[in-house]
Amino acid sequence: MVKATFLNRFILYFYLMNESELIKKAQAGDFEAFSALVNASKNKIYALALKMTANPQDAEDIVQDTFLKAIDNIEQFRGESAFGTWLYSIALNQARAHLAKQKQTDLKPIEDYLPARSAEELHREGVVHLFDWKDPHQKLEDEQLRTIIDNAIAELPAKYREAFLLRYIEELSIKEISKIINESVASTKSRVLRARLALRDHISKALEDKYGTEVS
Amino acid sequence: MGRKCLDYINDLNDYLDGELDPSLCEEIEKHIGHCENCRIMVDTMKQTVTLCREGKPEKLPAALEDKLGGILKARWEKKFGK
Repeated sequence: MVKATFLNRFILYFYLMNESELIKKAQAGDFEAFSALVNASKNKIYALALKMTANPQDAEDIVQDTFLKAIDNIEQFRGESAFGTWLYSIALNQARAHLAKQKQTDLKPIEDYLPARSAEELHREGVVHLFDWKDPHQKLEDEQLRTIIDNAIAELPAKYREAFLLRYIEELSIKEISKIINESVASTKSRVLRARLALRDHISKALEDKYGTEVS
Repeated sequence: MGRKCLDYINDLNDYLDGELDPSLCEEIEKHIGHCENCRIMVDTMKQTVTLCREGKPEKLPAALEDKLGGILKARWEKKFGK
């Protein structure tokens, strides 16, 4: 009951003020304003950290460290991006530190995701090389499908995983992502495309296996 | 005609995200109309994002939720004072 009242105060606080007012108050030392900002973003930061690390304990550590770093550096936030975008940058730095021990591989070149390198072979009349998924929901249980997707995301090299998640799960623009990951717009676009192609490739192979062995 | 598949692949995200120039969109749609591989590529790339977005939204675990406020408050007071 006490906790609910406490939480309600933050929610009320958040709705009574816009984000820039909350940031100004937080930068002036108002903990309740900062808490309202935390409450608005904590689940998103956790979800991103969990998808980046695939490890709930690491994700919890990242959330905690992200908000502690935000406190340490709150006066450095100048409002050039949304507060949430600034938090994503901090969270991704934390995630990279957690993933630093993992061997990072690169993805194959974009053109290698096409089924054949030879244009003639690709367009021979009636020849189809790509596996058509149709509707995976009709073929597989939700849980089976979820496992395939989670594995595909987890297997992406970190720099592609973060670009994909920021673009399609957090729905940030390419320009916003390029600022967060400190890459050019062209390089960010390329990372997002390669991540999507690699995921498609991984999911396609897994579905082809499942459709063949488990589905009548 | 065949080399067009390689040409189009770099534009597929912009096309699927609705950020491609309309004349190029038209060109891609025309190509998809007679290239089964590219039709499947476009359809499955679209599904890739849809499938990744599915699933219940993750929420901060209750145990961390309970202690996070206290941890942040302690750091806050260290920085700004009580």
